[in-house]
Amino acid sequence: MSLRGLLHERWRTRVTLLASGCLEGPERERTLAHLEACPTCRREHDEVRALVAAVAQDPARTAEPPVALPFLVTRVEAHLDAVVRSRPWRWGWLAAGIAIGLLAAPIAVRLVERQRAAEAPPAPAIAMDEAALRRLERVLAREQAVRYLAEAENVLVNLKAHPRPCPSEHAHVELEEEVLRSRELVARRALLVDLEGDALMPARDVLVDVDNVLREVAALQSCSRRDELERLRREMDERRLLMKVRLLSRELLS
Amino acid sequence: MWSNAAVDVPDGELMRRLARGERDALRPLMERHHRRVYRIALAYLRNPDDALDVVQETFVRAFEHAGRWHSGTEVGPWLTRIAVNQAIDRYRREKRRRETMEPLEPGDHQERLGDGAASPEQQAHGRELGARIARALKALPERQRAVFVLRHYEERSLEEIASALGIRLGTVKSSLHRATHELRRRLQGVWA
Repeated sequence: MSLRGLLHERWRTRVTLLASGCLEGPERERTLAHLEACPTCRREHDEVRALVAAVAQDPARTAEPPVALPFLVTRVEAHLDAVVRSRPWRWGWLAAGIAIGLLAAPIAVRLVERQRAAEAPPAPAIAMDEAALRRLERVLAREQAVRYLAEAENVLVNLKAHPRPCPSEHAHVELEEEVLRSRELVARRALLVDLEGDALMPARDVLVDVDNVLREVAALQSCSRRDELERLRREMDERRLLMKVRLLSRELLS
Repeated sequence: MWSNAAVDVPDGELMRRLARGERDALRPLMERHHRRVYRIALAYLRNPDDALDVVQETFVRAFEHAGRWHSGTEVGPWLTRIAVNQAIDRYRREKRRRETMEPLEPGDHQERLGDGAASPEQQAHGRELGARIARALKALPERQRAVFVLRHYEERSLEEIASALGIRLGTVKSSLHRATHELRRRLQGVWA
């Protein structure tokens, strides 16, 4: 490129910055003066301005998240819960807490019995509207199902990604994290999601599909054969499982 | 639903609470910043599901790394930096897995990019424009795309972009110029 061409290239960068609203002060003035004298740069300036105006109309600039804030907060909290649960030392503290609780329980029961005996009239029972209770149970069941699906989705997405090959074995892939998380989810599924309950009846088929795939993953080895992973991926594709999980999560929170 | 008591709490105080492990501080912080983070991610990735994942990952990281936030810096740009890095990471992962990824329904995400308040014609125009810009942006190299998005979707100054991406000011200028030049070439006729 000639010297003249190089100098002009510098002006072109400044013209872009000017049209993008990034130039100020003397540099802006100098560039404006150059535009007066250079029809090529003036045309370029007008085209960049038109591009910037077109981008300003892009719907993505004003798009709202397709789900409500509570859903996002739930997702973040579920993820943080999963991270906490995956830390083994936390399990140690939990086990210690349970052990202390079991030891202290008989003492607490005796104390409560003594206090009850000392109290004069028993407190009146709180009246609970049956319908309100059912609504509350329904909301809780749905929230727990959404948390379960969010964690399951993370596992499924990881399965669809390209995993690392196992260093020691040919045609094997590293799936340790997915296997452990699936085992944990399978173990907790019955506690989190009641498949027989009314609240989740319309979601039952997808939840069963998710559970089945997670059970298959849980049965794999940390270092598994690539064709086993491919089989699982095909199964997920055939059932369009990821898409169903995402749609169902939105449906449950809507 | 949300506690009004947290509305007036400054971002900095919320960050200090997060650093102490108080999860209650997440909600007001997300309430203030989640839309902006979502739009940055959407502009970069052009897929609402991926953008939502970036929002989630951004706030998970904000919680986990709140202790590293310096009280002298603004929270907004700090979150922007996390969001852009998350979007770039996600884009790289998606690129690797694209061949095996199950596609969503055709046109699924584009349908949601339109402005709900606009007329059907405006929505159709917006969708078409959005789709063309999406294709053109996706063709840009990662850094050029990030610079362009931060300038024209987030309206950040060149200095702020340099700080958010950890690159020199000169690199920001040349990246913005190259990105603009390439988009102008690819979107020729959109504004005619």
